[in-house]
Parts: sequence; C-alpha cells; structure tokens
Amino acid sequence: MTDPAIAKQLVEAIIADTPDHAEGTRPIHTVGIGVEGHFQALNVAANYCTAEHFRGHKVPVSVRFSNGSGSPVERDGVSDVRGMATRFHLADGQATDLLAMTLGEFFVPDIPSFLEFTTAALPKPAKRETPWAKLKDMLQLKLPLPDPMPWEDATNTEGLIDYANRHGFAQLSVTQVGTIGAPVSYARAAYHAVNTFIVTDPNGKKRYVRFNWQPVAGVLNRDSTAPIVNQYLHQEMRDRLAHWPARFILDMVIAEAWDDVADPTKPWPNRRTKISMGSLTLTKVAEDQKEAAEKIAFNPCRLVPGIEMSEDPILQARKEAYEYSRKLRGGTGCPFFGGSADAT
Amino acid sequence: MQPELSWFERLVNWLPTTRLFQFIAHRLLVPYWAARTPTQPQPGGVRPAIQGTDNLQNMMNLVMPLKDKSPIGRAQAVMALAQNLDEIYAGLDNVGTVHFARFVIIDDNLCMISVYDGDFTNYIRDFIATIGSVFDAIVAQIEGGDAVIPCETNVEAFIDWVHRHDLYQVPDEPTDILIEWTRTNERGEPHDIRLLPREVILQLHANPNVSLGGGYRRYPGFSAAQVRKELGVGW
Repeated sequence: MTDPAIAKQLVEAIIADTPDHAEGTRPIHTVGIGVEGHFQALNVAANYCTAEHFRGHKVPVSVRFSNGSGSPVERDGVSDVRGMATRFHLADGQATDLLAMTLGEFFVPDIPSFLEFTTAALPKPAKRETPWAKLKDMLQLKLPLPDPMPWEDATNTEGLIDYANRHGFAQLSVTQVGTIGAPVSYARAAYHAVNTFIVTDPNGKKRYVRFNWQPVAGVLNRDSTAPIVNQYLHQEMRDRLAHWPARFILDMVIAEAWDDVADPTKPWPNRRTKISMGSLTLTKVAEDQKEAAEKIAFNPCRLVPGIEMSEDPILQARKEAYEYSRKLRGGTGCPFFGGSADAT
Repeated sequence: MQPELSWFERLVNWLPTTRLFQFIAHRLLVPYWAARTPTQPQPGGVRPAIQGTDNLQNMMNLVMPLKDKSPIGRAQAVMALAQNLDEIYAGLDNVGTVHFARFVIIDDNLCMISVYDGDFTNYIRDFIATIGSVFDAIVAQIEGGDAVIPCETNVEAFIDWVHRHDLYQVPDEPTDILIEWTRTNERGEPHDIRLLPREVILQLHANPNVSLGGGYRRYPGFSAAQVRKELGVGW
C-alpha cells in the first residue's frame, strides 16, 4: 500500500507538468471518449486465469479512449501516447479494469525516479533550435531537436532527452514517445498494459503476465508530414461504430524465470509465450459522455479473484494515486475504496 | 505562439530531403564519422541467452558470397543443391530442432535461412554430422569455402565460418543499440539518444547486411518437437 502522501505528491507532480491543466479534469489522458461493447474470452483463457471475465460468457464493457496529454485542449493530430481504459462489468455489480496505452513501456521503474522524471519534464520556455545548431546536428548525423508546435509557449522535450541521456532505463520510452505519431483512429492502435500482473489458473498455478490489445483493423498512423488536424478522433469513432463494430484481441504474455516483473521500463522479448485471451467488440459511443468519459474513474488495481497485482512499485503506487486523482476531480466513487458502486 | 519560420529555417528543415545533402552525407559525413568513431561490426546470429524461450525458434541468416558471380556460377549453386536435396532434407530431419530452412540466391550470394531451436553451435555441429560430406558440394561454391572442406572433419572451423556469415540481428527495440554501445563504453554511461541515428548508420556502414530484429513468431515459446507432438505427427 502506497503512502497517501506519496499518492498526492505523484498526482501534483504530474499536474505541475501541464501548464494549462484545468481543475476538475484528469491530470493526464484528459481528453477522451467513452464507448460501449462486450468482451468474450476464448476457450483457452480459462485454462490460464480463473477471473470471471475469462470464463467465456459475454461481459459488457465500458472503454475510454484518450489522448495522453494532460491539457484539456483536444489536439488529436499531435504525436502523443493514447490510452485505452477498459472496465469489465461482472456479475453482482462487480467490475475490473485494464488500463493500457500505445507506449510499450513506462518511463521509470520506481517512485523516486518518477518524481525526478516529472521534475525533468517541467515545461521550459519553448525555443526553436537555431538553424545553425540544426546544421551542426546534421553534420554530426545527430537528430535535431523537433520544432515546438505553433501554439506551444513551453515544452519539456529537452528536459526529457536530458533525463534519458542520464538514465538508460528511460531511453526506450523517451525515444518512442518522440516518434509515436498520431493514429488515424483509436481503433487502429495497439495498446499495452505495461505493468505486470499475476494470474491464477484452475490448478492454483500462478503466472506473471502482461496484457496487450491488438486492433483487428490493424495499426495505422496519420502521415506525420501532413498538416496537423486538431479534432477528428471522436467523430471518426462515431462514424466507424455507426457502420461496423470495432474489434480488439486481448493477448496475454507470460513471463519467464528471469524476466523483470517489477520493472515496467523493460519490455519482455517477443519470444515469450503469448495467449490469445479473447476478443473485445465495441458497438457504440456512449450517449452520456459526461459519465462515460469524464466522471468514470478507472484504477489499474481494481482487480477480481484470479488476478493480482505484482510487486511492480509503479503499479502499486497507481492504486492510491488514481484514487487521489479521482477525488480531486470528483470522479465517480470506486467500491474497492469504499465508495459507491460505479455502474457506468 | 511560436513565430513564423524564417526562410533560412525552412531551408535548413528542407535540407535533409535534398539530393545534395544526401550526397554529402553518403560521400563525406558517413566516411568521416566512420573513421572518427570506428564501429566494430556486431557479431552475427542470435545473442547468448539463458531463458527457455530465448533459445527457441532462433533465426539463422547465412549470406555466402558465390565464388563465381556469373549466371553459370549461380547455376552451379542451384545444381549443387538440387543434386543433394534428399541428403540435405534428411539431415535437417535428423537434426530434429529445425522449424524451417530454405536456400535462396540473392545477387551474388547463396543464402541459407533457417529457424531452429537450441544452441547455434550444436545446431551446426548436428547439421554437419548428419549431412556429412554432402554440404561440401555447396561450400565449394562459396568464397573462402575451400578452407573448411571437408566440413565433416573441420567441424570447429566450419562452425566459425558459418557464424561469420550469419547476419547481425539488429535488436527489436531500437535503443538496444545504444544499450549495446553503453555496455562496451568504458565509462558505462548512457549514450545520447539523439545520436541513435548515427549509431545505426555506422553499424550499417560496418555491417551492410543485417537482419531487422529477431523476427516475428506466431507461436512463440514452442519448439519444433512440441509442435509436432501437439499435432500428433510424431517426432
């Protein structure tokens, strides 16, 4: 259990990184859209995990897709991490959440590093690299700094690069964030739950696992050289679901003995055994977006029997941090913290 | 709000797409940095691993330059394979750990591309032990191949020879190139991530033919023996 004071510190550190953070909104992944559908596990899923949503019957789901930024301004066409938070609605008002993002790993392995990272990510006045400096970079076969966006007065790009150059564990995530791009649709991106969980099979065997959502429609980004369009993802999802459901496959990757299960900065090799656990079918955009996209409060530690948290310190800290953030913005209460049942 | 880009800034941003800059980069910058910061070609083949599934479905990409680069030389390579196909397939069957293997000719190279389980050295040792001298006919078509003929009695030299022709496998995660650099850096400090393009360019300069990543696997974590067992088709 994370100290509530740490949770407060974590959330406030994130908020400090977003100069235009709006009170009453999420500190990150602020702009989002809520959609509805169902999840159905494949037969093999129950061989690996006894959790209710892996037993094979249709489970209603609420999904919130989001842009990673903490800004309340919707800038869909900007290169940014995207989020996919899924709530599986189970029997007797129970529920479990799975939070995933388009980045395949996290920036830091623990809480002290996270606080240092958020300090490094504090925005500084945005200055374009001079043409002479860019020319020097090119002559060194070095990547020039990206130009700030036209609307940016402040940026954290240099801070993040400086942090990654001092901390090898952040190099992959910072590099990938710089090139992650903008999807043509929330339904055309792969999402990774980068923290490790422990699943229990019917024989009581426990396994360390990570989950990924793979889009059936395939992954596709916008042309990065095309002019940026600010708002298209929500309407695209409405148009898409009006014609045909959007589908994702849930993959579960099983760790091996020496895999680092407590460090979300380290992706596991793609040679690990991968189980296709089931398919998600999204059928409509939720009518009440205030509830389905804003009030709803997900928590990656909202789990049910059959799935447990691993010793990953980032995952453990997220439990209290998400709850602190929920209270701060007035999100719907979560029963496992003693709040009212969230039937959204 | 950011000020508008000046004409000079737009020119500099456009520069990398121009043929002039690409020519300068190719003819001057890459040779200059290759001389200034010598980059050793990374060894070919899979990286040493202790994990179970890291030793399954390994990719081997042998690129072997033909002695005779004329169509006649290529035809000789085709004939050497065609005349020994039964022997080669029987050998691969007897190794038992091979998922797939194929031979292709690309330009002036005869390539053997295979997916196998277990240790590389054991794979090649088993392969040459079960194929025997038949592989000599193929090795005889390759530059430097005479030095390891007869393969059956030059096993260690043959293993080294194969390893030298096995392509370097670029890591799946791009920044692992920097991690490899960091491991070999005397100070052990992380590398500047903005220099990742240069590290990639210089490695490809030293090592023009590479395998991009470790490859895709639809059923990762399973050996050829497990697949055959589950399919009920015997060992």
